[in-house]
Amino acid sequence: MINKKLALEVLNLALSTGGDFAEIFVEETKSETISLDNFRCETSNDNIIFGAGIRILKDLQSVYGYTNDLSRKGLTTLASTLASSFHGERIKTVEELTKKKVQKKHRPKIYLSTISKKEKIDYLLKGCYAAEEVDKEKIIRVTAAFTSTSQHVDIYNSNGLIISDDRNRGRIFINCVATDGKQFETGGFGPGASKGYEFFKDEVDIVNLGKKAAELAIKLLSAEECPSGQMPVIIGNGFGGVIFHEACGHALEASSVSKNLSVFSNKLNTQIASPLVSAVDDGTIEGAWGSENVDDEGHATHRNVLIKDGILTSYLIDSFNGRRMNMKENGASRRQSYKYEPTSRMSNTFILNGKSTVEEIIKKTKFGLYAKSLGGGSVNPATGEFNFGVTEAYIIKDGKIDHMVKGATLIGSGAEVLMKIDMVGNDLCRAQGMCGAASGSIPTDVGEPTIRVSSMTVGGRGEKLN
Amino acid sequence: MNYQELFNRAKEKGIKELEVSIITDKSLSITYYNGEMENYSSSSLSTLSARGNYNNKAGYVNTEKIDKSTIDFIVDKIIENAEVNNSSDELIIFKGSEKYHHKKVYSHALENTSPSVKIELVKSLYEKTKVLDPRITDVSVSYSESGGIYEIMNSYGLKLKSKTNGFFIVVEVIAREGDTTKTGYKVVNGQDLNILNLDKIASEAVEKTVSQFNSIIAESKVYPCILANNVASSLLSFFLSHTIADEVQKGTSMFKGQLNQKVASNKITIDERPLDKGLNFRSFDDEGVATNNFTIISRGILKTYVYNLATAKKDKVESTGNGYRGSGKVVTSFANCFLKKGKKSLDDLFSIMQDGIYITNVEGLHGGMNGQSGNFSLQASGYLVENGKRSTPVSLITIGGNIFTLFNQVKEIGNDLELLGSVNSPSLLIKEIAVSGK
Repeated sequence: MINKKLALEVLNLALSTGGDFAEIFVEETKSETISLDNFRCETSNDNIIFGAGIRILKDLQSVYGYTNDLSRKGLTTLASTLASSFHGERIKTVEELTKKKVQKKHRPKIYLSTISKKEKIDYLLKGCYAAEEVDKEKIIRVTAAFTSTSQHVDIYNSNGLIISDDRNRGRIFINCVATDGKQFETGGFGPGASKGYEFFKDEVDIVNLGKKAAELAIKLLSAEECPSGQMPVIIGNGFGGVIFHEACGHALEASSVSKNLSVFSNKLNTQIASPLVSAVDDGTIEGAWGSENVDDEGHATHRNVLIKDGILTSYLIDSFNGRRMNMKENGASRRQSYKYEPTSRMSNTFILNGKSTVEEIIKKTKFGLYAKSLGGGSVNPATGEFNFGVTEAYIIKDGKIDHMVKGATLIGSGAEVLMKIDMVGNDLCRAQGMCGAASGSIPTDVGEPTIRVSSMTVGGRGEKLN
Repeated sequence: MNYQELFNRAKEKGIKELEVSIITDKSLSITYYNGEMENYSSSSLSTLSARGNYNNKAGYVNTEKIDKSTIDFIVDKIIENAEVNNSSDELIIFKGSEKYHHKKVYSHALENTSPSVKIELVKSLYEKTKVLDPRITDVSVSYSESGGIYEIMNSYGLKLKSKTNGFFIVVEVIAREGDTTKTGYKVVNGQDLNILNLDKIASEAVEKTVSQFNSIIAESKVYPCILANNVASSLLSFFLSHTIADEVQKGTSMFKGQLNQKVASNKITIDERPLDKGLNFRSFDDEGVATNNFTIISRGILKTYVYNLATAKKDKVESTGNGYRGSGKVVTSFANCFLKKGKKSLDDLFSIMQDGIYITNVEGLHGGMNGQSGNFSLQASGYLVENGKRSTPVSLITIGGNIFTLFNQVKEIGNDLELLGSVNSPSLLIKEIAVSGK
């Protein structure tokens, strides 16, 4: 999108005041969003994100800027503005830029851009009608969306490299609102992948998804309010892994670890979790939602083992924060777009399978909460305190699922919960989400098998239990 | 890009009406962390959004690539998107309001202040904060400034332009005592750097942090409660979202059929004031409709729903000037909403409440708040209030309740209204809130 000669000129201009590293990240992303509300296409929209970000590093300082004026004037003005915040002599010159070969692993079979908007709408409608069929009176609103993005990036840096990558992703959403005339409840799903239309045709059962969303919303109408107190909590597989994402994943990012802001700073090779827990961040899984061939600094993505049998084995490291830690980056530097300076982030992060079956875990729980499906959550990386909303939960009594409850929140601190995991299931699966942090909102997978935490604080509006 | 060429091409291809808006934004941000300038960034960005009427249906497109080659992309995508659109909302391209209340709100002084002065300010705020307490381990001060031009033009010849800027400063403090870590922050914003009281900002950020040490998990029970202004503002924005006509018309608002009925405590009056000078000023909305100040809830009575052009037409009323362009369809949102402040200071509120809980922070609004039903269960922290005074800090509790009940149970309203976002409330004394702790 910019020629090599201009890239060289801009990089050298950026390095003119003593910077030791410079990088240009050029991006063109085309995206399409189609939204349905009660079977009508309410919005269909196309979007181009286009521009360049320039980063200059000098020791532990970074400057960053972006523009969508990719002319020579636009880029050189930005590079000199940024360079002017350093006041040294040039220590580095880039002589030549060479294209680095990138192995493209996540190529779609059927590009979503080749599928008409009409076909995507018809696809979504199948799910919407199936949802309505569940109970035409109670289901008052069904919304659905189809999003697809195709991002092309060219990264030029002062190590003399040009690295390009293409990221193609698609995701659908289906959500239902149910009412009994007095209250409203919702249920929904949102599967996605770094794949093409084949994913939606072959791997997603849209009709079943619509049905499940409607059934969940309706079931919640008659659920009791969740009781509050300390109790054992079984956390369901798939999106339940958001607990690990929030409570542990964020605290393993070099952006907080390197500054001693994380509860896991200086804890490498020590036990931070129950010995039953092993976990990875794997940006290489073919076609997964959070996968990429290279990260947003152009480094190949890795399968990083974060925790092995309870021992902390690795952080997620970008090259800038890696300087502070004296550690090499491990392919974990990401950003939403050229408008963000990249930093250490997660890709597909999950707890690995253990040996218990879900039935065993439930059977061995005398009393507790089965948080089958979680909603969003957040964490304070300095204290490790987190919270999650629970979208589908049941009370367990005497080793059996007793009744459904709603309105539960799980709160606690990441370090504590990891140590209190006392059973790990064998039903690992992953689910898709968008993760927001300093470098923007990026696609990530969370995941886990069903796990049990021996004791956790449950917030709810029902009676207090202990 | 030659905009006339875009309008001409659109017309040739059968796009009956076209509206184009362009945002040109320049920004600067500086972060100072533990004695070092950690981050410096600068940007300039233009974004074009267009919507057109093709065969009486709306088509939308947005692009950051704005050059000759994009004209065809814009026109073709509007047509493609309009062809599949069967929204019940009519696309209305607006011919213009009779009168616009233009005011000069751009601060040239702020723009012309050199980056080095801003860096010095950040540094000085850092120095002042760092020394206030020996338990402070980390301080981060970030300054961000943005200034932009917003232009809207359409095929009826409407052409409007506004220019705004402002700054936003965040001081974040981390303090440690033994094994316990506490974090706190203070945010200030505005357009005039000269009136900032740096000592006060620093001491507030530090006080908010170190006063949390030795926190306890409060006993689970129902407490009389004071919600700090930031917490009340967050909850208020969920409450107010039910006044949006879109939700009412779709049947998903709790305020359906409640016009001129009591929906909140009679102590509560809520105004939308886009014409007040300041950061949130806007004289026209994203559809080109002139804005006006108006009352949404007066002494607890719901006076009006909040409209854009399409939802207003459905109810046969005028738009309230609350149209916002997202990436596609125009939605409805607030520009500068205030819950009218009372006369009581925070200390007065403590003294009136005598015993109860003071909530200064809630987390997890996107998970723990059911915006539809208004039921919430949120991780919270704050302080106990005993004998009319703030006492022991509390953390890791959840507060649970329902926002509709809550705004009906407001007993007193504080005078500590601050501009925190587009929806703002002073501190509120609430009859009761359920706390789940130990």
